[in-house]
Amino acid sequence: MKRNKPLALVAGAALLTLAACGGGSSDDGGSNGSGSDREFGDQEGGTKDAERQGPAADVEGATPGGTITVYLPGDPGPDSLDPTGGWSVTGNSIQQALTSRSLTQYVRDEEGQPVLVPDLATDLGTANEDFTEWTFTIREDATWEDGKPVTAEEVAFGICRSLDSEAFPSGPGTEYSKHYFAGAEEYEGPYTGKDPQCEAWDGISVDGQDITISMSTPFPDMDYWGAFMAMGPAPLGNASKPPNYGTKPLSNGPYKVESYKPNEELVLVKNDQWAAESDPGRHQYADEFVFKFNQDQAKVDEIMLSDNADSQTAVSTSLGSDKYNDANSQLGDRLVQQTSQCVSTLTPDYEKIPEIEVRKALAYAYPYEDVWIAGGEVPGVTRVPANSVMPPGMAGKKEFQVDGEQITYDPEKAKELLAEAGYGDEPYEITMVYYEVDPLAVATQDQITKGFEASGFKVTAIPVQDSPYNIWLDPDNKVNKKLNLRGVNWCSDWPAGSTMLPPLLKGGAVYNTAFFDEPSINDEMDAINEMPLEDQAAAWGDLDEKIMTEYFPIIPTAFRNDLFAFGTKIGNPTGDGSIGAPNYKDLYVMQ
Amino acid sequence: MSAETAGPETLGSLSDEPEHQDPNSQKAKEISGKSPMRIAMGRLAKDKIAVVCAVVVLFFVICAVFAGTISNLFGVSLETPLASERVDGLNNGLPKPEMGPPNGPFTWEHPMGVAPRTGEDNLAYWLHGCRISLMIAFVATMVASVVGVVVGLLSGFLGGAVDKVLSFFIDMFLTIPFLLAALTLAPILNDRFNTSENYATIQKFSLIMVLAFFGWMGTARLIRGEVLALREREFVQAARVMGMPTSRVLFKELLPNLAAPIIISVSLMLPSFVALEAGLAYLGIGVTDGVSWGQTILRGATPTYFREYPQYLWQPLLGIVALVLSLNLLGDAVRDALDPKTRR
Repeated sequence: MKRNKPLALVAGAALLTLAACGGGSSDDGGSNGSGSDREFGDQEGGTKDAERQGPAADVEGATPGGTITVYLPGDPGPDSLDPTGGWSVTGNSIQQALTSRSLTQYVRDEEGQPVLVPDLATDLGTANEDFTEWTFTIREDATWEDGKPVTAEEVAFGICRSLDSEAFPSGPGTEYSKHYFAGAEEYEGPYTGKDPQCEAWDGISVDGQDITISMSTPFPDMDYWGAFMAMGPAPLGNASKPPNYGTKPLSNGPYKVESYKPNEELVLVKNDQWAAESDPGRHQYADEFVFKFNQDQAKVDEIMLSDNADSQTAVSTSLGSDKYNDANSQLGDRLVQQTSQCVSTLTPDYEKIPEIEVRKALAYAYPYEDVWIAGGEVPGVTRVPANSVMPPGMAGKKEFQVDGEQITYDPEKAKELLAEAGYGDEPYEITMVYYEVDPLAVATQDQITKGFEASGFKVTAIPVQDSPYNIWLDPDNKVNKKLNLRGVNWCSDWPAGSTMLPPLLKGGAVYNTAFFDEPSINDEMDAINEMPLEDQAAAWGDLDEKIMTEYFPIIPTAFRNDLFAFGTKIGNPTGDGSIGAPNYKDLYVMQ
Repeated sequence: MSAETAGPETLGSLSDEPEHQDPNSQKAKEISGKSPMRIAMGRLAKDKIAVVCAVVVLFFVICAVFAGTISNLFGVSLETPLASERVDGLNNGLPKPEMGPPNGPFTWEHPMGVAPRTGEDNLAYWLHGCRISLMIAFVATMVASVVGVVVGLLSGFLGGAVDKVLSFFIDMFLTIPFLLAALTLAPILNDRFNTSENYATIQKFSLIMVLAFFGWMGTARLIRGEVLALREREFVQAARVMGMPTSRVLFKELLPNLAAPIIISVSLMLPSFVALEAGLAYLGIGVTDGVSWGQTILRGATPTYFREYPQYLWQPLLGIVALVLSLNLLGDAVRDALDPKTRR
């Protein structure tokens, strides 16, 4: 999942977050009075509750009414509200919580952990033995904003839409539906394939309220994939034709779209056709939600810290690091730290840097804390040291350390490793890119260069004015061909190793910018997908450790956290651990 | 930059005949035997504002020329330190107390403090920023003046088709929006040269070219107008009648008489280029390696740093304001001094 914020792009040499949607969360430590020693909270894997039924349990002390204004600094928001096309943290977090229901959903439990519960389906789906066929029973009491019931046919049609990778080129269906659903490769989709009723695809069948999806390969994580709004209903026929449907989608959640100006503002008002009994996860406390995109970070920070009438019912989805201390002392537990299930990495080119000693030397040469400070991060709060690719809280995550203890900046050790690899005599050449338009990125690169050169490397840093991702992912780019060190920020789509390890480290994967390609590891990844579900998490954890200790193909530099600021009259200020956004479902205005 | 850096209105009426003076008067005797330049210098020396401004400009020039030496004297350098050694990441990235203000007492190790977030030494960056600023402004002014003078001379003196073509180019360059052109050029240059080892030099060179390319038209127009008036004067006619080659007429007869407008247009171009260089660096399309007053301002211009560490923003800001202001006032004074009609 992509993160829209340009800030994420510039926050480091390698920083544009691509995917975030998964489980596990911090329990917002540091909500103490002084609040100055905020730390990364404990993490747990997400859980599931197939029995959960509506209505959702009331939030203690919640009162109805009021308008909640959400500021999204530096975040342009979604380009389109079409549920099938949504694959960004911003859009999905808003729409999945408020307007667009899907097969399953996440709720936040008392400890702040995300729990996967049913949504439009009556349970979390039932799979056959080898996970090649999933059946979901659609509940009968869910309705659209126009009062008509949501039918199983409409859900099936919505799922079918996700196969149209021409109409929704950046939708998540291109990655999951296309890959796992039977017959999806050949089927072009209802729009591109001129099949408006979705009759030509036989991978899905509707029988009364039951929807059955056939898979081409075993897909044990279908229930997690069902939490994406792309796995939700769409009105049949032309009513939901893209791109027009994306400007005003028909809502079936507690809120409906009142007005939407892309990159500017989204106003959601109560949907009176939504019945609390039909929904195990959502609430309808506030009268209205106003999302303001592309806000100026400094301005929003001032608003949130001023505590005036406007800011008391406002929420900000990020905080400038220069305001961290003020916000921490003023806001206390209204400043919420939320893990975003992401990892920042450096990816040494596996073909150009074949020696594991050199890759480890790079890890010891990277001045972690200095890079975070220069990049405008708060060490230990918005960035914490990482030991492997799988983020904390992911099921199966192992707390191992490659060299017995956390790798930190240690130029002497880096030099020793270089000497071991036979490069002790003269500096080892490293070529990388940085985004020169942003002074923070330049300052970050200065720190990296400083650290590397103190450790026996010689750094050629190429300034670019394009997103580094456009360089790294373009195999024909002339700059890319010179690089031997790249980077990726990756976030999980759901709390399973299958959304972290294969995208980053499987041979041929798009975001495998290290070009790590070991047949044995590729086979092992395929094998894990075939395993019984209960063994998979541990297997991913083992594989994570094996890859890191035996090959060390990727240098995890940090796990990432977001900071949200809540106004004094916003009730239940919490984050949504499943996606790394404010917990819109449970917010209310104190009356 | 489509505005002229020196317009006719700043010229007074240089080309007019001086008022008739009685050759036997007291004043006439005082100035007899002095060259016009010497008279102008004498006037400048008596102008207090001019003297103060000249001293300020001299100060900046010394800072720029000896940036490295002065840095060494203070024991500071442009070198990037490890950020965590100098700034406190948990305190908004502000400098640690032992690095001087705002959290600690003044220290000679960093007389102007260190930058928040990166811990780079402010004095070294200020001095080298001054050097970049003056170097770029100075070279761009030279290039723009030479181009402007040559085009103006040729266009005014030759007249006819040459004049028409050159005037067309002047007008054409005046229509190109400077900022837009600079914004467009930056990524193109980056794409072309970013793998080159001399990228920083190329960037500065292209910046000079951009400034000069959009700065010469004012001078050209000014000179052309002057030449149009001068070429009908008797001494020019005489030179032509005597059969002097055109180049000699241009450079030996006309050019010396154009010294005043040239000096004035230069003195007005310099400060505007200093300000433009900082402005472009602030926008991220000029110097991008951080060593520029504009880039320092960009980093310092956040509400938090301005509230808690205002010096960081004031240092480059004062540098620009003082330099531009004194260059401008000095330019005015030079104009006044060179204008024979100025009465004091």
